[in-house]
Amino acid sequence: MGDISTMEIITDASKRHVRLKTGLVMGLVGVLVISLWIGWVPIAPNELGDIVRAWLGGDTGETLAGKALVFGMVRIPRALITVLVGMGLSAAGAVYQGLFRNPLVSPDILGVSAGATFGAALGLLMAGSSWLTIQSLAFFFGLAAVGMALLIARLVAVSPMLVLVLAGLVVLSIFNASITLLKYLSDPYNELPAIVFWMMGSMSRAQWGDLRVAVPVIGGSLILIHTARYKLNVLSLGDLQARSLGLNPGFYRLLFIFLSSIMVSVSVAICGQVLWVGLVMPHIARTLVGPNHEEMLPVAVLSGGIFLLLADTAARALTMAELPISVVTAFIGAPLFAYLLYRNRGSGWS
Amino acid sequence: MRIVGRDLHFAYDGKPVLTAVDLEVGEGEFCVLLGRNGSGKTTLIYCLAGLLSPQHGSVTIDGLDMSRATRNDIARRVSLVPQEHADIFPFRVLDVVVMGRTATFRFAQRPGPEDYRAALRVLVELEAEALAERNFNRISGGERRIALLARAMLQAEGTLLLDEPTNHLDFNNQHRLLDKIKRLCREKGTSVVASLHDPNLAARFADRVVMLADGRVLAGGTVDRVMTASMATRLYQTPVRRIETHDGERLFVPCLSETGAAKADSEEAGIRRWT
Repeated sequence: MGDISTMEIITDASKRHVRLKTGLVMGLVGVLVISLWIGWVPIAPNELGDIVRAWLGGDTGETLAGKALVFGMVRIPRALITVLVGMGLSAAGAVYQGLFRNPLVSPDILGVSAGATFGAALGLLMAGSSWLTIQSLAFFFGLAAVGMALLIARLVAVSPMLVLVLAGLVVLSIFNASITLLKYLSDPYNELPAIVFWMMGSMSRAQWGDLRVAVPVIGGSLILIHTARYKLNVLSLGDLQARSLGLNPGFYRLLFIFLSSIMVSVSVAICGQVLWVGLVMPHIARTLVGPNHEEMLPVAVLSGGIFLLLADTAARALTMAELPISVVTAFIGAPLFAYLLYRNRGSGWS
Repeated sequence: MRIVGRDLHFAYDGKPVLTAVDLEVGEGEFCVLLGRNGSGKTTLIYCLAGLLSPQHGSVTIDGLDMSRATRNDIARRVSLVPQEHADIFPFRVLDVVVMGRTATFRFAQRPGPEDYRAALRVLVELEAEALAERNFNRISGGERRIALLARAMLQAEGTLLLDEPTNHLDFNNQHRLLDKIKRLCREKGTSVVASLHDPNLAARFADRVVMLADGRVLAGGTVDRVMTASMATRLYQTPVRRIETHDGERLFVPCLSETGAAKADSEEAGIRRWT
């Protein structure tokens, strides 16, 4: 009896989800093309063909040299990094929300971003620190932040959903104060503007070199998280049930926290704080395909890539001088979040 | 014996919760734990499930020593229906039930069509297939218990532990749920340990009763032997009368009102009415 009908419902739903994911991949490619084309230096589609042909032939014509440079050294790496960061941040948000069973947590709210920002700012201030130092400091303080938030929540151990958000707020405030202190202590002519502009979040410094770190770190973490994503369903029931169902929550919790925190820290080190992506994208995905992480995670990742690339394209194209990307993500993300909260109010989980 | 607990001692931060608890449950037996709030019922169930490790004593289930077994080994033999189920993501009931298969999945594995079919089969057995597509957070408390029972059955049918399964259920649902569990014992040989607050439900459904008071076994054995008015009075520390209906049903009634207390006092001399 029910056997047939329910199997039909299951396959029906998964067909719908396959269509949605295909659509998102196509959307991502579409946005990628648009973002490569739009910008301060206009590059027409036919010129693109010429540039590619010139590259393949090893010879760039005089008239296209400048454009080829803009295209190859600026736009392509920038677009790729933006997509990776968007994907990484939204995957991190989805993981945090599932792991901590809390729709309000994200790398921003638990203080990971602020911790990583503090670490990176510290790196920027230390004379002669390499990119790797900045990167490592960002990662160390990012992880320290989430560790502190978890520790505080565990010590309080009452009403975990609420306390974790409050603990995150405590950690966030401490790191934000530390960042302010760093700014205060820095040289106001060179270091301060560097920190301030970098903190606002911008993709403008993205280079091919960044991809050498971003691709293996963010890409690798995304693959691992995607591979083990079903475990997030079980972990979202809480430790007691996860254990009684036969899962080792300690191992998976640590693995997921490590992978998402390293993605957030790398993103922060590359382009500063980009807020709202990690909080809002998982909610969008849950609205589209439901809470099952099997479907929800890939959808969140793809929408994160699209969203941030759109935001960056808008940041570049809307005004003559480039807008900080966080301004764009906040102006779009915050109202969107409010709308999603309103829309999903009846689901019994908000 | 399927479940054997020997001389179990458990303490939280030095405060003893279980002291020298012995418990045996055979194949297909329905064992009910009775006791007041804080008497150690939940702790005992968690010790049996291997979620807590007793400081002294041993738990063996199906010959498996729980202190040496891995989480995965335990989960394939013992399933648990926990007491509180905090609001979770709005999963479909079928997605909740299929999580009973977690212990069989490797690192990258996700439930496949076979797992969903098995989950559905269990829901059909419990006459709850209509719940499959519903939002777990939006069904009634009784339906949630059924869904969690289905998950537990999918996980392991041999040993089923239930922590106050009848909490928040209405009169009808309490009896229907326990009836379903009882049928599992009879038809599949499932061994059940369930904590209950109602001695009448225990008298009606249990094969074996263990009474816990302050972490010690006050009495343990078959329903006929253990479920007497004087034992119930000692267990709940309030006068309890036993009424036998003409068709042999035993009913336990607390005597708290003036008249009731007086009656009980005359039956059971020298008991403590309040703690």
